[in-house]
Amino acid sequence: MSVKILTVDDSKTIRLIVAKAFKPYDCTVLEGDNGVVGLAVAGREKPDLILLDYTMPVMDGFEVLARLRSDPDLKSTPVIMLTAEAGRDTVVKIAKLGVRDYLIKPFKEELLIERVKRVVNLKLKSAGVDRPKRFDDPIHLLVFDDKPAIVELIRSGLADTPWKVTSATQTAEALEACNKGGIDVVLASLSLPNDAAYAFFQNLRGYANMATLPIFGMSVRTATAEQARAQQAGFSGIITKPIDPNELKSKVSKGLKLETSYKYFQARSGALILTLPKDVNASVINEVSAHLNDQLTAAVDSGNDKLVLDLSLIEKATLPMIELVLSATEMCSALSLKSALVGTSALKADCRSYEETNAWVFASTVEEAMKLEPALAEAAA
Amino acid sequence: MTTLTSQVDEIQELAEKAVREVFQTMLSMEVSSHPPLPLPPDPEGEIVSSVGFIGQVTGAIYLYSRVSFARLLTSRMLGITEQEVESGEMINDALGELSNMVVGSVKSQLCDRGQTCTLTIPSIVRGQQLSVEKPSNVTTRVTAFSHGNHHLLAEIFVKEL
Repeated sequence: MSVKILTVDDSKTIRLIVAKAFKPYDCTVLEGDNGVVGLAVAGREKPDLILLDYTMPVMDGFEVLARLRSDPDLKSTPVIMLTAEAGRDTVVKIAKLGVRDYLIKPFKEELLIERVKRVVNLKLKSAGVDRPKRFDDPIHLLVFDDKPAIVELIRSGLADTPWKVTSATQTAEALEACNKGGIDVVLASLSLPNDAAYAFFQNLRGYANMATLPIFGMSVRTATAEQARAQQAGFSGIITKPIDPNELKSKVSKGLKLETSYKYFQARSGALILTLPKDVNASVINEVSAHLNDQLTAAVDSGNDKLVLDLSLIEKATLPMIELVLSATEMCSALSLKSALVGTSALKADCRSYEETNAWVFASTVEEAMKLEPALAEAAA
Repeated sequence: MTTLTSQVDEIQELAEKAVREVFQTMLSMEVSSHPPLPLPPDPEGEIVSSVGFIGQVTGAIYLYSRVSFARLLTSRMLGITEQEVESGEMINDALGELSNMVVGSVKSQLCDRGQTCTLTIPSIVRGQQLSVEKPSNVTTRVTAFSHGNHHLLAEIFVKEL
């Protein structure tokens, strides 16, 4: 739902500046040209935030604020006071009335947006059309670490993805990068001096629009106390050093709920094709397992009658791979789906040496597997 | 009288700083200050915006500019082209807000120095070859600001209490 911001200011210029500043965002800007009108609009529209001028004719900002605070429906509405008067006494008076923040005129548009973002979850209009992010989207990572070697390691580990890596060595620099927007996930080193990662984490969580930005702590594998502290503080997860690129990709994918099924599953001519990569590691197992049930159910639902397990990239049978194939074929049986295997002669020979796999029948290509008779497909299962 | 003179000098200094800051922040414009020169004539006329301050120190700051410059300031403030500045009312409101910011900044500094005062609502006057009559118990200072070929005069009035 769109955020509602009410600007109460006797200056049309300020109301226009505010409306223009929020134009790129998914929000509705309501206006009141004096305190009385502002209160009426607030009562009717129940805004998520009020930007309130201090000096106004008819009813000034102080009185508006006092009335808001005595109205049961509006007393908790956050207010940011805009004032051209920045004297100490004024600021103290404003603070006593319980405003969330205050902004001194003249102000930069960016500053207004930044302060508002601390209070409400502002999203850019283009971000409103939510398509689930995919693994092959240009995901933007911020690495907050003072060791350039770690940043380079991450960068080279992600070179086979379209992901972008930005780095920061100071808390202010990292916060500025996040505030600018466009960062999808943050990796912060837990060993930074002066608990910088924790300070950064707390600071970022203070912004309403960044409350859900995944922040992973980076820590050496053996520093378990440090990892437990980060988990307790609310970090999204831990990436252990030395960094395994596959583990990093997997955790980031999970943290961002990236759509990864397209990497393995494809529907073609009445069949669902599951292609496993050369290295069936733990990340692959996790990703495929997470999608398997939904993919098979959707396949049945769409009228597909077969699962083709394409293992042609795999040279050697491994226990995790065997378990995954067995699990998939069991699910197929439960859903009355046929299944067929595709593999190289080397894999075929390797499978003959295991009791669980020695009866597996392989086709040489996906096309051949699609044409397999049910009897052969059952034998494969 | 010496006290009033130093008070006016102090306000002039604060006003110069405030004008530069407001122009830089709200309009992304640099202005240079220099001794006053008369505003060149403008067929569209002149515009004077003012905000007063009343209390332990009482007076007003008047900002004079040609209407053509006021239109440019309005467009910069609102992030629109000069052609999109639709009406005189739009210019009046923008200039009133600029004055409010300048004098609000001066007032905050004065209050922090123990010279409490409150502000009046901005007012605007338009016309040709405008000048404000100086009452006898008032001390004034004028500073001129330039941005390219455009000029702005800030006239400070402080009343003897």
